[in-house]
Amino acid sequence: MKRWSLVAALVFSFVFSFSFAQKTVTWAMWGSPEEIVTHQKVADAFMASHPDINVEIWSQPWGDYFTKIQTLWAAGDASVIPDVMFLSPVVNYAADGVLENLDPYIAASNYPTNDYWPGLLDYGMYDGHVYGFPRDIGLEVLYYNKDIFDEVGVSYPDDTWTWDDLTAAAEKLTDVSSSGRVNRYALGMEGGKYQLWVGQNKGSILDDMRNPSHCTLADPAAMGAITFFANMMNKNYAIRDANLGQAGGDAAVFQSGQAAMIIQNASRISAFNAADMNYDVAVVPIPADGQRSASAAGAAWTMSSFSDDKDSAWTFLSWLQSTDGGQAIYTASGEILPALKSTAESPAFMAASDTPANRMAFIIEGDNAKVGRAGFFPEWNELSGSIISPALQSIWSGEASPEDVLPKLCTDVDAFLSQNGYPK
Amino acid sequence: MSAASSKSSGTPSNKGFRFGKWRPGQQNEAYLFLLPSLIGFAFFVLIPIIGAFALSFFDWNLISPAKFVGVDNYKQLLFQDAVFRKVLGNTFYYAVTIVPLQLILGLVMAVALNQGIRGLELYRLIYFMPVITNIVAVAIVFQWLLNRDFGVANAWVWQLADATGWHIAPPDWLNSSFWAKPAVIILTLWKNIGFTMVIYLAALQGVPESLYDAAKVDGATGSQRFRFVTIPMVSATTFFLVVIQMIGAFQLFAEPFVMTRGGPAQASLTIVMYIYQNAFEFGRMGKATALAWILFAIIFIFTLIQTRLQRRWVHYETGD
Repeated sequence: MKRWSLVAALVFSFVFSFSFAQKTVTWAMWGSPEEIVTHQKVADAFMASHPDINVEIWSQPWGDYFTKIQTLWAAGDASVIPDVMFLSPVVNYAADGVLENLDPYIAASNYPTNDYWPGLLDYGMYDGHVYGFPRDIGLEVLYYNKDIFDEVGVSYPDDTWTWDDLTAAAEKLTDVSSSGRVNRYALGMEGGKYQLWVGQNKGSILDDMRNPSHCTLADPAAMGAITFFANMMNKNYAIRDANLGQAGGDAAVFQSGQAAMIIQNASRISAFNAADMNYDVAVVPIPADGQRSASAAGAAWTMSSFSDDKDSAWTFLSWLQSTDGGQAIYTASGEILPALKSTAESPAFMAASDTPANRMAFIIEGDNAKVGRAGFFPEWNELSGSIISPALQSIWSGEASPEDVLPKLCTDVDAFLSQNGYPK
Repeated sequence: MSAASSKSSGTPSNKGFRFGKWRPGQQNEAYLFLLPSLIGFAFFVLIPIIGAFALSFFDWNLISPAKFVGVDNYKQLLFQDAVFRKVLGNTFYYAVTIVPLQLILGLVMAVALNQGIRGLELYRLIYFMPVITNIVAVAIVFQWLLNRDFGVANAWVWQLADATGWHIAPPDWLNSSFWAKPAVIILTLWKNIGFTMVIYLAALQGVPESLYDAAKVDGATGSQRFRFVTIPMVSATTFFLVVIQMIGAFQLFAEPFVMTRGGPAQASLTIVMYIYQNAFEFGRMGKATALAWILFAIIFIFTLIQTRLQRRWVHYETGD
C-alpha cells in the first residue's frame, strides 16, 4: 500500500533523525571578519575531533555585541541564547546569574586550573567561584624601535632597566623643535594603562578590588607612580593621552616613528611584523625598589546558565582552553599571549615568528602578573568611567597636578562606594 | 480617488470639498488610511516612550530584574550628580554657540549664493556635501587635522614659530578642556551649515523682487534692504531653523562621541552621550531613561518659549 509505505518512511526518518541527532553548541564572540576566520578555524578543529557536537558561531562587531547579548538575556529565550560566550568583565554577568558556575565541571574533569598565569583566573571568578576562563592575558611589554635607538645612540632596554633608566633614555629619544612642537615622542602609552606604574610602585587603586572600602590613589605609592607618568608627559617624553588617541593610537605612532617606544600587549605583533619594522620587546622598566606588575586580565569564555546542553558546552569549553585545543590555534594566529603557561612556553608562542626576538619578556611579565587593573564588582565600569578616568584625564592633559586631583578624587570614589553599599 | 470614499461622499466630484471639514462617516476611512503609520508609530515610538517613562522609576541593568526606586533617579540626577551638572553646562554651551553661528553663517552663505553667480549648482553641491557625508569618517579626519604636533591645522603655526623663533603655540585642541568644545563646534558647523544654507536659499528665492524695488525707490541702501526686507521676509524660515537646530544641538552626540569621547575630563560630554554611557556602559537603564525625560522637558520648555516669542519677530506675509 502506498499510504502505509509513506507512513513507515516518515516514522523511520523521524526515529533516524533523532538517534543520530547532533548536539549543537552555539558559540558567541565579537570580532573583526579576520578574527572570525580564526574562530571558525577553531570550531572546525573541534568538530573534526568531536563529530557528535556541532559548533555554530554567533558573532557581532564589538560595538553591538554586548547590547545584543543583553537583549537576548532580557528576552530569556533559552533556545536563542548562546551556550558559550566571550565576555568581559565576567563579574558583571556572573553577578546577574546568567552564567554557569564552572567549579563542579572543573572538579569532575580534573581541569588543570594551575596552568593559568598567576592571578589570571581571578578575572573569571565571582564570589569565590569560577565563571569564565580568560582566553589570553592582555599584559603589556615595552616595544622599542631599534632604528631610532641606534640613530640616537641609546642602548636597548633590558630587564635591568628602572624608571630612571627609562627617563634618561626618554630624554635622548624625544625630539622637540625650538617652537615646542614635538617631532618625536620617546613613549606612547594609553592613559588608561596607568595602573601598571601604580602596581609596580606597590600601590593600588582601591584597598580591595573585590570588596573595596576606600580609594588608595592618594597614598604615596600611587601618587608617586601617577606623578611619574604625568612628568613623562609634562616633559614631552610621553605623548599625552588625548593626543595619542587622536594620532591613531599607540600602534600608529610607533609604526610612523612618531614614538620610539610603546607599552602595549601582544596584539600588535602581527601588524608590526607585517609592516616589516625593526623592533623588539623588553619587560617594562620598574622603580628601583619596585616590582613587576603586569595586569592579569583578559576576556573570558563563559557558559550560559540557560544552556540546554551543558555537558556538550563544557566539552567544548574545556577543549577550547587547552594547549592541544583552541589555545594553540589562537596563539598561532599571532595576536595573543595565551592564558595557559604551557601554551605560552610551547613553540606555538615562543617560535611563532622571528620578531620580536625577546619573547621571554612576555613570559617574565606573565610569571609576575597581578590583579588590580580593574575592580571585580558590578559598579566598576561606572566608577571608572564616570569618576576615576575623567579625573585622571585632567592630569594626563596637563591641566591639573596629581597633588590637586588625587585627594579630591579619592573623596569622590569613597562617596560612590558608600552610596553603593561598599564594603559589603 | 478610491471607490469607498466616492461612495460615502455621494459625488465623485471635488466640488464643494473643503479642508478642515469632516463629513459624517468619513473619519473611519481616514483612520484606516492612517493605520499603517499609526501602527508603526505606536510600536516604535509611542510604546517605547511610555516604557521609558515607566523605566525611569526603576533601577535596571538590562539583565537582572528591575527594582522599583520611585523618583530616586530624578532626585539623584537633579540634586546630587556632579556629572549631570557638567554635561548640562556643556550642552547649553553647545546650543548657545552652534545655533546662532549656524544661522548667521548659513544666511550669509545663502545670500552670497543668491546673487545670480555662475555655477550656482556647483557651489550648492559643494556646501551641501558635508551634510550627507558620514559623521564618523568626518570626525576621524578632523581628529587627524587637529592633532597638536602632527595635525595639518596646527602645522603652519608651528612652521611660523620655527622660522621666526617666536613662542607661539597653536591650540592643543582635543587635549584641552577649553579647546575641546570649540573643536566639536567647528566640526558641527562644517557639517551642518550646508543644510541651513539650502533652506535659506529656498526662502530667499521666495522673496519678491518688487519689495526690493520698492525699497530702492524709497532710497534704502544695500544693508538697509537686507535688514528691513530680507531678514523679516525669511523670519518664518529662521524660526523653523531655530527650533529644529536647537533640538539638534541639545541632542548632540555623534560629533563629540567620535572626536573626543567626551573628554578630556568630561569637558565635551553632552547629555545624550551621558544617557548612552549610563544605559550601555554603566548598566543604569533607569537613570538613563530619567535623563532622557529631563532632556525632553528641557527641549519642550525651550521650544515653547520659542513659539511664544515668535509672535514678536516672525512675519508671515507672503508679499502678494
